Amino acid sequence: MRELSTDVVVVGGGATGVGAARDAAMRGYSVVLVERADLGQGTTGRFHGLLHSGGRYVVSDPGSATECAAENAIVGRINADAVERTGGYFVTGPDDDPGFADKFLAGAATAGVPAKEIDVAEALRCEPRLNPGIRRAIEVQDGTVDGWQLVWGVARSAIGHGAKVLTYHRVTDIVVRNGAVEAVVCHDAKTGEDVRIACSFVINAGGPWSAQIARLAGCEDVEVIPGRGIMVAMSHRLVNRVINRCIYPADGDILVPVHTVSIIGTTDVRAEDPDHLEIPRKEVQQMLDAGEVLVPGFRTSRALHAWAGARPLVKDSRVSASDTRHMSRGMSVLDHAERDNLKGLLTITGGKLTTYRLMAEHIIDRMCEQLGDTRPCTTADEPVPGSESGHNYLVTHRLKDREAERAPGSGDVPTDPIICECELMTRSMFLDLFEQQPDAGFDDLRRQLRLGMGPCQGGFCALRATGLACDAGHADATAATNALRRFLTNRWIGLWPILYGDQVRQTALDYWILQGTLDVEHLPETEEVAS
Amino acid sequence: MKTVVIGAGLAGLVAATRLAQEGADVVLATKGLGGLPTSQGTIDVWGYRDGKRVEAPLDAVAAAPAGHPYAAIGVGAVKDGLAWLAEHLPDWLTGDAAANVWLPTAVGALRPTCLCQPGMLAGAGATRVVIVGLARLKDFQAALIAGNLTRTGRVEARAITIDIPARSGEADSSALTYARAADEPGFAAHLAAAIAPSLGSGEAVGLPAILGLHTPGVGRDLADRLGHPVFEIPLPPPSVAGLRLNDALTTLAKAAGVRVILGSPVTGLKAEGDRVRSVTLASAGHDRDLVADVFVLATGGFETGALALDSYGTVTETALGLPVRVPDGDLIGADYWEAQPLFAAGCAVDVSMRVLDAGGAVVHPNLYAIGGVLAGAQRWKEKSGDGIAVGSAMKAVAAIMGGER
Amino acid sequence: MSLDFAGHEFARASLDHCVKCTICETQCPVAAVTPAYPGPKYIGPQAERFRHGLSVDHSLDYCSSCGICTLSCPQGVKIAELNSQARAVMKADHMPLRDQLISRTTVMGMFMTPVAPLANMALGISPLRVIVEKTVGVHRHAPMPHACSQSFMSWWKKRPEKPEGPRGVVVFFHGCAGGYFEVETSKKTIEVLEHLGFKVLVPKQGCCGLAEQSNGLFDRASASVLKLCDDLRAAGKDLTIISSSGSCTGMLKHEAHEIMGVSDERLRDVGTRVRDVMEFLWELHEAGELPEDFPRIDLTVPYHAPCQLKSQGMGMPALDVLGLIPGLTVVESGRACCGIAGTYGLKREKYAVAQAVGKPLFDMVRATNPHLALCDTETCRWQISQSSGVPTVHPISLVHVAYGLSELRQLIPAGA
Repeated sequence: MRELSTDVVVVGGGATGVGAARDAAMRGYSVVLVERADLGQGTTGRFHGLLHSGGRYVVSDPGSATECAAENAIVGRINADAVERTGGYFVTGPDDDPGFADKFLAGAATAGVPAKEIDVAEALRCEPRLNPGIRRAIEVQDGTVDGWQLVWGVARSAIGHGAKVLTYHRVTDIVVRNGAVEAVVCHDAKTGEDVRIACSFVINAGGPWSAQIARLAGCEDVEVIPGRGIMVAMSHRLVNRVINRCIYPADGDILVPVHTVSIIGTTDVRAEDPDHLEIPRKEVQQMLDAGEVLVPGFRTSRALHAWAGARPLVKDSRVSASDTRHMSRGMSVLDHAERDNLKGLLTITGGKLTTYRLMAEHIIDRMCEQLGDTRPCTTADEPVPGSESGHNYLVTHRLKDREAERAPGSGDVPTDPIICECELMTRSMFLDLFEQQPDAGFDDLRRQLRLGMGPCQGGFCALRATGLACDAGHADATAATNALRRFLTNRWIGLWPILYGDQVRQTALDYWILQGTLDVEHLPETEEVAS
Repeated sequence: MKTVVIGAGLAGLVAATRLAQEGADVVLATKGLGGLPTSQGTIDVWGYRDGKRVEAPLDAVAAAPAGHPYAAIGVGAVKDGLAWLAEHLPDWLTGDAAANVWLPTAVGALRPTCLCQPGMLAGAGATRVVIVGLARLKDFQAALIAGNLTRTGRVEARAITIDIPARSGEADSSALTYARAADEPGFAAHLAAAIAPSLGSGEAVGLPAILGLHTPGVGRDLADRLGHPVFEIPLPPPSVAGLRLNDALTTLAKAAGVRVILGSPVTGLKAEGDRVRSVTLASAGHDRDLVADVFVLATGGFETGALALDSYGTVTETALGLPVRVPDGDLIGADYWEAQPLFAAGCAVDVSMRVLDAGGAVVHPNLYAIGGVLAGAQRWKEKSGDGIAVGSAMKAVAAIMGGER
Repeated sequence: MSLDFAGHEFARASLDHCVKCTICETQCPVAAVTPAYPGPKYIGPQAERFRHGLSVDHSLDYCSSCGICTLSCPQGVKIAELNSQARAVMKADHMPLRDQLISRTTVMGMFMTPVAPLANMALGISPLRVIVEKTVGVHRHAPMPHACSQSFMSWWKKRPEKPEGPRGVVVFFHGCAGGYFEVETSKKTIEVLEHLGFKVLVPKQGCCGLAEQSNGLFDRASASVLKLCDDLRAAGKDLTIISSSGSCTGMLKHEAHEIMGVSDERLRDVGTRVRDVMEFLWELHEAGELPEDFPRIDLTVPYHAPCQLKSQGMGMPALDVLGLIPGLTVVESGRACCGIAGTYGLKREKYAVAQAVGKPLFDMVRATNPHLALCDTETCRWQISQSSGVPTVHPISLVHVAYGLSELRQLIPAGA
């Protein structure tokens, strides 16, 4: 067993976990973050990409609204490269209550969320696909955020401040002695080795898995309800601003342009197990119906992919356990010293990506308090690596970069082939990241590079990526082929529930190429094809 | 006799050419190019049945289960089709219809097919192989291919990569760009010079299928220069091997007098009684009725949009609105590696390739369906699409011309 | 900056159909000859997902707008249209003077006609062409129209009015080139129609705006095309409109709508009534109404179907109609594009690309008949004539001969 020692172990590599690790590291603690899979593989990567203006909560939860408005500005600055300032509209659909917009405007004024009603004609001019039957439109400062880009930026910042980030390290035990946490034991999935990390404090940022983690420390009664929501990505930007229904929060009330796609979300159904989230066809239909209200013709537009995420909602005695939508969306810090007489463990759940930094600040404040320290939080002041320029993301970036490589006078002809043509990912982008993260699977690289996330869903690029991995010596043919099979298996999870219309054509062509022409399914069998 | 063939894939091109050769007046109407440029450029008849390797494809055709297109097509029409292709495309197709050959793919599997291009043949049964990658061609990764070929246990393969540009000023060249370069004299000599120093005795040389788009014999030239057998491996689209067949068959069709109308979709039909009088062509500006005695639907399957599944789960035939036979139960399953029942949906036909309704009655006595639009096959899993296309085209033409006489 | 135009959403929605099959790439004549153009799939449905108002990609200017990508696409993606629209956004930022000048076809024609010999001489003088190239950016060897000393309209007006024919009335749309540069083609078309028994009306008419559209000047082009619709509609309701200007019919039939998003009842009306003259003759044939007692013409000629004719999705009616003439062998070029693509091949920086695109065609034409070639559109004829050295005429010229309205030796010099 490998031995490590640190001040703080953060469990969970989502936005909250990396945020907490960064915050603690910036306050001068030594920090080890452990994550059972890859960063951002849980809830952080399984949402619709909205950077809240606060508008969504101005009527139902003004406190959250105010927090969101403040954090929107901060995150847009410190995680600039992960954020696109799209702006957003709240629109009243043809059959929606126009009176809600008045409550909305009043709530926004109270909560300090910038909001301005605009002419419906102006909204339609700016967003020509919008339903011409909308009755009111309110402009807000919604943005979009790439959860993976954000998490990696924050993680790099934490590492820059001395933190250690261990991915594919599953926590198997939290060692308690004399009523205090003493160490965290992990299993390294890539090497098969066990690692014992001696520490004086553990931050449980396991999101929907945090109850399981608390249980490892003997805290049995933490109740975190996974609230399952599905999202469907459409093949291109049907809108260029975030479009919200101006109604009480409901299923399918938002359409978010993220990167090259637009994402409709979401549902909210209590799930039993955050590791097994289904994407029921019935809910896909619900999303399509809801999309049709915002953008006529939505149903015949092309869906690319669907996914389900689990919101970590803390059970609140005020509402029933099955009604997850009306549970508190605010963050909850569980102090296990108070609850369970266990020192050195704090659990943080709830919240939303937009407020990840604030959540981290709160929990590290609490930790400092318990450790008797008074070290101030500085996370709002310093941009993460990659965001120093303060320039926000633009959807045109990759096209502009590829064109710059081609431009006459740029010195030479482009030397960097485009491997994923849908998402304009080049060979060097792929190989450079592989070099940095040699243990990464194709899905891990995908989350950071968007490999295979465009219309063809890997039909053309998967083979190229596999061959490059082999050619560059990152994998032998067996390992590379396994990675290919796993990639295709995993892409299918989000494909088959939304197969209709144009994506069926693509899937048929992809099958034709991969199975018909290449015969991937008859490559020599290998023992492991884990998902 | 006036005929209209809809669709310009393998099935449509063969049917149109055969009809014209038999003296019919043929209009070939097609929305765009057919599927051949996306194909592997060989003629599969049947490669895998129930997941098991098929060695004698015609035997498998003869034993096709009811509901499979081959059950209606029959072994004779498939044989005729293979013979016709081999006769008319001697530069590009060769092989023994009785037995499959196993050819390396661009991921390093050994894949069964029936007729192949002469330049691919040396890949069948080669036991010591050098796979030659081109540094600027991203769709052919030599190390992966060689590694997987070796893993089959039937081949000992190694990889080399050479850097020969297809044209100056380009680092990301498609297979087609290479093939155009290889059509120029001198390219084979360049290749030979780059490859020769790496070869050991007794090794066959595997290259991506780029050895000429319209020039047969580039591979032979290279083999002669190297003194080693050379074989081509088909690539994903843009597939040079597929383009060769497409261009050769299109030229053949035009030479036979087929009038091609490219670029306008067929959007419906007009019937008189139970006979189709015309199909509607949505050409620019105005619809046009193509009036004919006989109509042949060869629009392909889901990959072309000839068949469509809407968001409510309904399968339709999109050009003419014909009845479709859809498998019972879930059409799409959670396991990527299983056959998806959806892809077996399509038009059911009688032994003359006339479309049937749900009750098994002929819908229009002068309307035939051939190729990928037919119900009952898992073309990519079975490796059966080309044989179905060619066989159904031959069968339909025989029925049409026989009926006329 | 971005442009607002209604058609954009229509073409953009079509990118959903793209399955990346690369068929458009395999057919693109420009990508085949230069790596400077990344190809229609890249520039069209692929890049379009990354576009949002800003003009960040410039290699799309190498697209010649020939439309072969859209034509070949089996999935129905409006690839060329997407490219044209993206170019309009790009050009809104920086429009070269040259692109504004060469897109004003009517103005150019009106300017050149009265001084035709002078204009022709001027355009034939190499030093002047060098100056034109340097100042305006039109390549010194690019084909320029040969101005006629008499415009079509002045010929038409001086012509005695014909009585109403037994076959009814049709409207003739001459197009700018047919009005000023290709007057012979217009005359022959009218003579053939009258020979067949139609009374031909020729309303006063302006430009369809195609050249403006292909250079990204959508506002001007939209105004032009609607003005033209008004002109043509003024001749009468429900009459068939016939043109021997193949590219201009394409503008009326579909391009104005699909590329610029012009959605207007007048355009729809004219667009459904307009016919290319060879298309019209073939429709007569199919209806059994075309007199086909043609004399034998023993001749083999190459025929090139221009891109803008192909993109009308009607096949090759010229080939079909000429196939009715005994002895005449018309060999379809089988080549993609002549390279000129409207005004593309005129431009200094595109000239070499355009010549490379057209080379296989020029070779084929010379090899088939060094004395005569056929092609339906004006700029393509100029390009083929200039670059192959083979005189190239509209296919109606042979129909004109076949009906005895002129003699073959007027097309091919004796002894050739």
